[in-house]
Amino acid sequence: MCKCGRQRIQPPKKMEREEVLSWALKIGGALAVVATMYTFMRRGKRTKRIAPKDTVVLYQIGRGPYAPSISPFPLKLETYLRMAKIPYENDQSGKFSSKGKTPWIEYNGQIVEDSQFCIEYLNDKLGIDLNAHLNAEQKAVARALQKMTEENLYWSICYESFGNDLSRVETVMPYKGLKLWLGTRILAYKIKKELWGHGIGRHSSDQILHIGSGDIKALSVFLGKKPFMMGEHPSEVDCAIFGMVGQMLWHMEGSPHQKLLKEELSNLVDFCVRMKERYWPDWDKCITKPDKTKDD
Amino acid sequence: MEGPEGFSWAVKIGGVLAAVTAMYAFVRRRNRYKKIAPKDTVILYQIGRGPYAPSVSPFALKLETYLRMADIPYENDHSFKYSSKGKTPWIEYNGVKAEDSQFCIEYLNDKLGINLNRHLSVEDQAVARALQKMTEENLYWTNCLWLWVYEGREQMKRLSLLLGMSFLMRTLMIYMIGRSTSKNAWGHGMGRHSRDEVVGIMEGDMKALSQYLGTKSFMMGDQPCEVDCAIFGMLAQIVWHMEGSPHQRLVKEELPNLLEYCLRMKDRFWPDWDRCIMVPGKSKDD
Repeated sequence: MCKCGRQRIQPPKKMEREEVLSWALKIGGALAVVATMYTFMRRGKRTKRIAPKDTVVLYQIGRGPYAPSISPFPLKLETYLRMAKIPYENDQSGKFSSKGKTPWIEYNGQIVEDSQFCIEYLNDKLGIDLNAHLNAEQKAVARALQKMTEENLYWSICYESFGNDLSRVETVMPYKGLKLWLGTRILAYKIKKELWGHGIGRHSSDQILHIGSGDIKALSVFLGKKPFMMGEHPSEVDCAIFGMVGQMLWHMEGSPHQKLLKEELSNLVDFCVRMKERYWPDWDKCITKPDKTKDD
Repeated sequence: MEGPEGFSWAVKIGGVLAAVTAMYAFVRRRNRYKKIAPKDTVILYQIGRGPYAPSVSPFALKLETYLRMADIPYENDHSFKYSSKGKTPWIEYNGVKAEDSQFCIEYLNDKLGINLNRHLSVEDQAVARALQKMTEENLYWTNCLWLWVYEGREQMKRLSLLLGMSFLMRTLMIYMIGRSTSKNAWGHGMGRHSRDEVVGIMEGDMKALSQYLGTKSFMMGDQPCEVDCAIFGMLAQIVWHMEGSPHQRLVKEELPNLLEYCLRMKDRFWPDWDRCIMVPGKSKDD
């Protein structure tokens, strides 16, 4: 107490200063991470692309090392654009749609999200029907095969890629340095939560692989000796199946999925190579490691 | 000011504690009884009977229909016990537990040498699998969103009233399942679409099922097979438990072969249907 009667303010003790410094470092570190992520996301949004009239702008993440995308859905959508002969340009700045998904498109100022909605929108807008040669029952089967692939097999692939060991997926992500490390871990965290919510993530690794293997074998059995899934001519479902099976073949080196394809289901490998040759004659210009393409 | 505020917080905390205690007591009570089944008899653990169909869960109805189709002796345990994965239904057979309806079926097929798809070609088996996955991994989510997130919540309130649930349980259940459905559907992807987009996806799947079924008696032909259990389990929810939904409207107005298919499965495998529902005599076949 000082002479005027007021309580003297004591300076902080040395221990408290160290605590404050520790908290400052923690908060500073967290802010740095948030700022990095914000900058990473903003950079994608800074440049607005202007496409020519009647040309689709396809927003997707960067090219993959051994296939044009490391994600099945952009590969499906871009293959569809080529199959349907729709003029398009790529925007690989990493911008995400308002639903937080990629890929997405812009066509004459109209934005459409979700690869399947993009296809349906363009089919409707441009009068395209890649399934015109199929009867009603075949169209139903094609839809079922696509849904099995995209809503079931897809999760088995996600688990294999992001469930435990991230070292394989890091070799194919189109990022480097801190962006690669952070991006992979953030994606893995999100996907694990999605796997649990979906239900498949509650199974053991063996059970998830069993589910995925059952789907891949069903695709192989249905394809049989046909050049394309539904017969002699390609159809819309081939884009979806190529997008998914292509990931297993080219971006999942050493995985049980790739082993199954190469050792037992060679018709699916042939199918992928056939689709690649037909719709991607510029394949080597659309991958980042053209001298190491893994068809063999 | 502190007095009334403090009292308000005490009431809120007390309410939450009461709800948690009620749920704990419910869970403990259901875990107290252990059913002992005769040898070579499956115990099927599932939630209670539904008001208008034997279950409000498509997977429980699928599994029980499979047991009937395969003529496997079984007994039901409706005590609401969940598996270690937090799922239902699940089974116990001669002391061995199997979780997840599809794994249960595969386990029993393997254990008992059953093959309900024996008469199908390998290509048809592949198609059957694809139809089942479309139904259970895609159409299913459109059902969930309508029932627990969109306007179907009113329907759920009515159904849970018919099942004799208290106001507290009903309110808690609809709130908690609604929240988790919303979160899970977002993670799945379906929940990121608008309601109209979800209805569009539902229509695509339902029309595909109808077109594939055509004039056949069962999905893959004249004889029923394993996939019929799965598709019946899912469609039965739409026909009997989703009154007023766009799903049910579509079946009744445009896809009558799916309705006839459900009735055919019901007549064939559930001759005791009225004894397996909570509100017999009001089955909404018409």
